[in-house]
Amino acid sequence: MSTDQKPQSRREFARRAALLSLAAPIAAPLAAAAPLPTGSVSMAADDQQLPKLPPNFPKLSEQSRAEVEARYESIVKQYSGRFNDQQKAELRRLSFLAQPALDNLRAYTIHNGDSPALYLKPLVEREKKPAKPASPSPAAAAKKP
Amino acid sequence: MITEEILYLPVSELSKRIESKKLSPVELTKAYLDRSEKLGPKLNAYAKLLPDIALEQAQAAEKEIHRGHYRGPLHGIPYAAKDLLAVKGIPCTWGAKPFANQVFDYDARVVEHLHRVGAILLGKAAMIELAGGMGYRFANASLQDASKNPWNTSCWTCGSSSGSAAIVGAALAAFAIGTETWGSIICPSAYCGISGLRPTYGRVSRYGAMALSYSMDKIGPLARSAEDCARVFAAIAGHDFSDRSTLPIDKAAFTYSASLELAAKPPRIGLLTNAWKKIDGSVHKVYSAAEKVLRKYSQTHSALLPEGPWEDAAAVIISVEGSAAFRELIRSGEVADLTDPLGQLAGYVNEQIGGADYVRALQVREILQRKMMELFDTYDVLVSPSQPIPATTLETNLETDVVYADPLGAIGNLCGLPALSVPCGFTDKNLPVGLHFMARAENDAAVIQAARAFQQHTDWHRHRPKLV
Repeated sequence: MSTDQKPQSRREFARRAALLSLAAPIAAPLAAAAPLPTGSVSMAADDQQLPKLPPNFPKLSEQSRAEVEARYESIVKQYSGRFNDQQKAELRRLSFLAQPALDNLRAYTIHNGDSPALYLKPLVEREKKPAKPASPSPAAAAKKP
Repeated sequence: MITEEILYLPVSELSKRIESKKLSPVELTKAYLDRSEKLGPKLNAYAKLLPDIALEQAQAAEKEIHRGHYRGPLHGIPYAAKDLLAVKGIPCTWGAKPFANQVFDYDARVVEHLHRVGAILLGKAAMIELAGGMGYRFANASLQDASKNPWNTSCWTCGSSSGSAAIVGAALAAFAIGTETWGSIICPSAYCGISGLRPTYGRVSRYGAMALSYSMDKIGPLARSAEDCARVFAAIAGHDFSDRSTLPIDKAAFTYSASLELAAKPPRIGLLTNAWKKIDGSVHKVYSAAEKVLRKYSQTHSALLPEGPWEDAAAVIISVEGSAAFRELIRSGEVADLTDPLGQLAGYVNEQIGGADYVRALQVREILQRKMMELFDTYDVLVSPSQPIPATTLETNLETDVVYADPLGAIGNLCGLPALSVPCGFTDKNLPVGLHFMARAENDAAVIQAARAFQQHTDWHRHRPKLV
């Protein structure tokens, strides 16, 4: 079974959760997440090296930011000519807003043996307390790839 | 003469009158139709009224009942179905312009079930476009415009089962069918002062329903009381060979008996202290009073939801499954015809989320399911306010003006847990506040029992808005 990589403070939790605050009443997808005014992920952005972003964009690590830009470029390339400049700017903003949730998920410790709920039968339908999956030792498992 | 008072009666009362032939299903249907024609457009409650179908079904019900063939508590009871449920030969718009002319040649299983028990289909309820699956910022993100809250028409009903909630709240029908992927039954029920049940995932067939998130969509009733929800749920629950996500026959079916339920052992109630980070003052006041009521007749203890990236996981799953469900809409460019500017673009972004992230979200879901299972070893039911705020105004920008975390909705929907929201009072501005009960998967009976017990000690569910 997995455990959190490190205990989260209430403040950290609330800050991360705020990302998806919009989702409750409207089942909003990632891109609809509310903007984060300040950094929300553990890896701080290196503002020295990268161009400044608007203040309502979440601060991301260099790697995450590159990933966002790649996804945005992929959209524009795939659907070239479909968007005007305003829409492109909005797509880029939405791509940024989607990233903290992905970073948060990736930061949560998952072991190789943790199975995905590939189909959502309630757990009682499967096995209430299954045998522990074969997984590496806790020390090794704590290291993320 | 059918008065407004009768139209506001719960199904449990209407059915007694119908069974004893003191109330005519035809007259009742006509009265709801008249009221729907008068008030429906003011509230943007309906996508389409179906008077011909309704009257035909009502006449058939009346004939059967007069012949002594009474089918049960929904026989002759008029209802509305969210406009993402197929009804043969009738437009099924999914609340979205690109699907404005869509017509199916079969009935959704839920509609079929309700027809089988003699319920009368009054019309298709308005909804947020694609049930909010492409995202939206404004209440008017619907082919039918913003549904207005019967308690204050300058306020929203919440979505995406917006019309369903307006219809029940304004007594335009006795009950309505809604759907929830994340909050779409619970929030409208809370905002509109009605009772709404989100069943365990897999208990109600989604055959003939629009798919948004294959592993999170659920269908459930919005009604006047927890008991009414139970009666409707009993009619629509069950395994369906056409929907492989449904639970096995013995697990999916639900039978309801008020007497058996009340004879059951009182549930162990956990009062959640971290369901909402911040609660509006007026909502908190109402909720505190509701807690006192709960403490009078049941054992309550403080409880905590587990902490983790549940909202992130839920959002990733909905985003990926939603972009897959509406892939053609996105790729064809027709998504640009959606009303909401966010809905026109968010699908492109969601489409880019990778498979590894999706699988990780599913792994997180499995972990969360186990954590919740352990929590429900201690409590039968977890209780909290349904929403931390009362109904928002129609003009509210949901992206910038309504910012609050929702671990409660994320956890409940990610794990497919049953939940029921019932009214528990009103704010200083006379807006309803909802009380939320949530239980272990498959234990829908527990939320019904707990909510019904609360309604036996209170009369908030009997309050009516003043509509002109």
